[in-house]
Amino acid sequence: METILLKNLPDIEAYFACGGYKALKKALGLKPAEIIEELKKSNLRGRGGAGFPAGLKWSFIPPGGQGQKYLVCNADEGEPGTFKDRELMLKNPHALIEGMAIAAYAIGAAHGYIYIRGEFAAETALMNKAIADARAKGFIGRNVLGSGFDFELFTHRGAGAYICGEETALLESLEGFKGQPRLKPPFPALKGLFGSPTVINNVETLAAVPSIIENGGAWYAALGTGKSGGTKLFCVSGPVNRPGVYELPLGTPLRELLEVHCGGMKDGKKLKAVIPGGSSVPVLTAEEALAVNLDYEALAAAGSMLGSGGVIVIDDGQCMVKLLQVLARFYHHESCGQCTPCREGCGWLEKVLDRLEAGGGSAGDIDLLYSVAEGMTGRTICALADAMAMPAMSFIKKFRGEFEAHAAGKVCGN
Amino acid sequence: MPNLTIDGRSVEVPAGTTLLEAAQRLGIYIPRYCYHPKLSVSGSCRMCLVEVEKAPKLVTACSTEAAEGMRVLTASEKVRQARRDVLEYLLINHPLDCPICDQAGECGLQDYYMDYSLRKSRFEAEDKILRQKRRAAGPYLMLDNERCILCTRCVRFCGEVTKTAELEVMERGDRSFIDLKEGRALDNGYSLNIADLCPVGAFTSRDFRFKARAWFLKRTPTICLGCATGCEIEAHHYEGTIYRLVPHPNAETNTWLCDHGRMTYKAVRAGDRLGKALIRKGLIDLEPALRETATRLEEAKGAAAVLGSPWLSVEDNAALARLAKDSVKTANYCFDFSAEQGIKDGILVNKDPAPNTAGTRTVKALYGGLSLEEFTGLLAGGKIKILITEAKAYGLVKAAAEAAGIRLIIFARNRGEAPAAAYAVLPYASYFETEGTFVNYQGLRRMTAAAVEPPQGIKPLWAVVNKLASYSGAELHLDSAPRALKDMDF
Amino acid sequence: MPFKLTEEFRETAARIRARYPRADAALIPLLHEVQREKGYVAEEAMDELAKFLELPYSRVKAVVTFYTMFNRAPAGKYHLQVCRNISCHMAGAPGLLARLREKLAIGEGETTADGLFTLSSVECLGACGAAPVMQVNETYFENLTLEKLDALLEDMRHGRLLTGAKEK
Repeated sequence: METILLKNLPDIEAYFACGGYKALKKALGLKPAEIIEELKKSNLRGRGGAGFPAGLKWSFIPPGGQGQKYLVCNADEGEPGTFKDRELMLKNPHALIEGMAIAAYAIGAAHGYIYIRGEFAAETALMNKAIADARAKGFIGRNVLGSGFDFELFTHRGAGAYICGEETALLESLEGFKGQPRLKPPFPALKGLFGSPTVINNVETLAAVPSIIENGGAWYAALGTGKSGGTKLFCVSGPVNRPGVYELPLGTPLRELLEVHCGGMKDGKKLKAVIPGGSSVPVLTAEEALAVNLDYEALAAAGSMLGSGGVIVIDDGQCMVKLLQVLARFYHHESCGQCTPCREGCGWLEKVLDRLEAGGGSAGDIDLLYSVAEGMTGRTICALADAMAMPAMSFIKKFRGEFEAHAAGKVCGN
Repeated sequence: MPNLTIDGRSVEVPAGTTLLEAAQRLGIYIPRYCYHPKLSVSGSCRMCLVEVEKAPKLVTACSTEAAEGMRVLTASEKVRQARRDVLEYLLINHPLDCPICDQAGECGLQDYYMDYSLRKSRFEAEDKILRQKRRAAGPYLMLDNERCILCTRCVRFCGEVTKTAELEVMERGDRSFIDLKEGRALDNGYSLNIADLCPVGAFTSRDFRFKARAWFLKRTPTICLGCATGCEIEAHHYEGTIYRLVPHPNAETNTWLCDHGRMTYKAVRAGDRLGKALIRKGLIDLEPALRETATRLEEAKGAAAVLGSPWLSVEDNAALARLAKDSVKTANYCFDFSAEQGIKDGILVNKDPAPNTAGTRTVKALYGGLSLEEFTGLLAGGKIKILITEAKAYGLVKAAAEAAGIRLIIFARNRGEAPAAAYAVLPYASYFETEGTFVNYQGLRRMTAAAVEPPQGIKPLWAVVNKLASYSGAELHLDSAPRALKDMDF
Repeated sequence: MPFKLTEEFRETAARIRARYPRADAALIPLLHEVQREKGYVAEEAMDELAKFLELPYSRVKAVVTFYTMFNRAPAGKYHLQVCRNISCHMAGAPGLLARLREKLAIGEGETTADGLFTLSSVECLGACGAAPVMQVNETYFENLTLEKLDALLEDMRHGRLLTGAKEK
């Protein structure tokens, strides 16, 4: 099995020893359009959660030398159940830096920023050190490797707001505003950071770029399945024997991830459900989970999403009402407050869940929850409302019995 | 020029037109809270969601540009459901204190609830988030955060129009609230526009608060005389009393109205409003005051002078000109006013504080007269014994008149306006009580309208002049405002 | 309390400012700097920073209150931030929080009388594979158990724990 991303190469010398920065040298000898073409061939899809084809995203940037353009790396990892970008930055920071230098060259950006969530202080320090090392070797800065291409790269720390993982909220935050998503259009490719054309890619997406340039898009595409090219980092949390980040080809069965790689359920616990792509995607029952493959298409067919690759494992000792309450508290806490349905709906859901969880709700509360969630769906500027509504609706649909028991007075009390 | 259909009707609009604007052209109203035609698009209230054929989700009409062939539905069941839902979300944390809310009757929540919802809330009342109740947010505004729906019109107004940026949404999510720096007053010269902009009862006017219910008010379009800008406004009144002035947005002059202009109605019912004339500071009915004035004019013979006023209408200036020429029969008159004009604050306030400097030019063109410099020289020269003018215009020649000890016949509406030294103070109807023509700094001729009745016995200035002339033995036949303009060529 | 931006701060600010084409983009990094120096962002600091960056005060205040990492009052020497999100919840976060509330005799958002500890529960820290997780100042402590938590508290009480910012 191919490990592309999760190599343990924290310092630049180790990275060199593994052929590091060869892809950048190669890229600088190609035309930007050729690089974008290779990306398209690779079927690399955005690893942040939305899964938008990366090559296509890059191709939206108006070509040519005129005007400032920006490359932004989204390292605002905050989707519950997701912890891959942190691991990637700690283990293989130069893959990200090299990927960014290549991407910047391809889209004609002279400046790049890595927006790292504020809590990741150690990761920011490590990235700063890695950037300084890359700069000292001429991979970053003026006239990269004598090619005439200039690329300045900085880290930028967030300050505690999940919503900044949404790309336009991230841009607002990077510009020193509250992180509130922008209306689209205009899309960042035309009017992004500081009003200039901007590409925003996730850490994992950018870190995959050097291997694609080195080995070719077709090679990368062949690692995955169908329209989902390459390998993917899967983060497994919950009661399994070996939780952690796993790099696997897209299309790997979820059952294999859980039973082989993670060593099965911990302490003989029984699997009840899996949220396969970070907390914002619909939940799968154990039966559905054990039958699905981990790629964009298969998960969509199963009624969920690959999302960020945050696989949250839930055992039968857990109360689904309580877990949905935990999620509602989170989305309520993180809603930026701009759009009415999200601002008011998230809090409403949490309040109804509070009383249900405590055994003080009524049978009507279950339909109310569903209906409030439905009313939030597809009605807002960004996807946070949907990210609350999708798990809520799927929890109710698939585990209605637990909600009914609570409505009848059951209290789990954990 | 994209062609599109909205609710089955086709319309062609210029490129860049939004669906909301395109619908407006067809007379189709799309409900909105955060949208305002003169502010940047926020797109956050989600009230204006409409259905576009083939689009996967509803789109905001305020931010979506019309495109060729688009088919838009503004009243489909999907759209109506979205509106009901948005309204329900907006109301869950709203205090529903309409009985004690000044916005009642002109509230976006009430109106749209009647139009689109009429659904009982499914939210438990005791779960409401409590926010700060009313507090003064500056000299003119009250802020009640609990009623706020966070549409951010006020924030954008202060950021984009006055550029003072006092307001912001603090905190996040449903804990958000509008606030300004502690201890700072929201006093940017245009603050009352925020009370108009606010679609709910969060920002209300301290001046208007609890004075009248909105549904009783009658609305009379007129113009503001606070400066040479001459904004179009509406006077809102009830049973003969004006309660507030609001802008009447128009393409030529104004969307907004400044706080100074909004307060100009106050003089109409001020405690020192003159209901009678004054002779040597003593109150007296108008008729004897005019007979007394006529006697003094007679005494002065050729030593009388008349000064027009850029604070008076064209009609009233014309009446004063006729008085000088045909009754007092003197050449000692002046309608020569000039002032630097233009917007001084980049918004509305004019460099020229007088509302009719341009209008006096037409009077001068017809009747001639001395230049202001000549006139001032004449007053200073000691040959003039008596001066007839309006209180504010008197300020322009005060030094010369005082030095020469000239007897003053002053037209004034309020006692506070008239100089203490005036021999006679003659009251007249304000321009909220009578029609008058004014020419603003752009050369636009506009009429005031009589929104309310003047105090009993108080007449328009031209009528007072007409009477004075008749007591002086020369009929001017000014029996209506248009008659005063008889020979005037606009 | 009067607040003055130090010379050192101004030098740092100039360096940070240079990374962006617009000065206001430096706002959040500079707020981090203020917090690093003072432990929190006071009203006076917002005022000074607004003047320094030529921004309206309201903008600075709105940003400070939007982001959860900016403390608006002095925090304890050790700011204990327990993740309460789904993976940590399943792995026992409620028990950790209860233990801290009991041992420190304070509630969430409160600081112990000796100024040593501030307790908060926070949303996902992005370390779910090592749940339950607690961040102390800038340092993560992972795979916590009640026993490990007790030991950590002892270390903190005796000043034996390095946790980022404050020791710099």
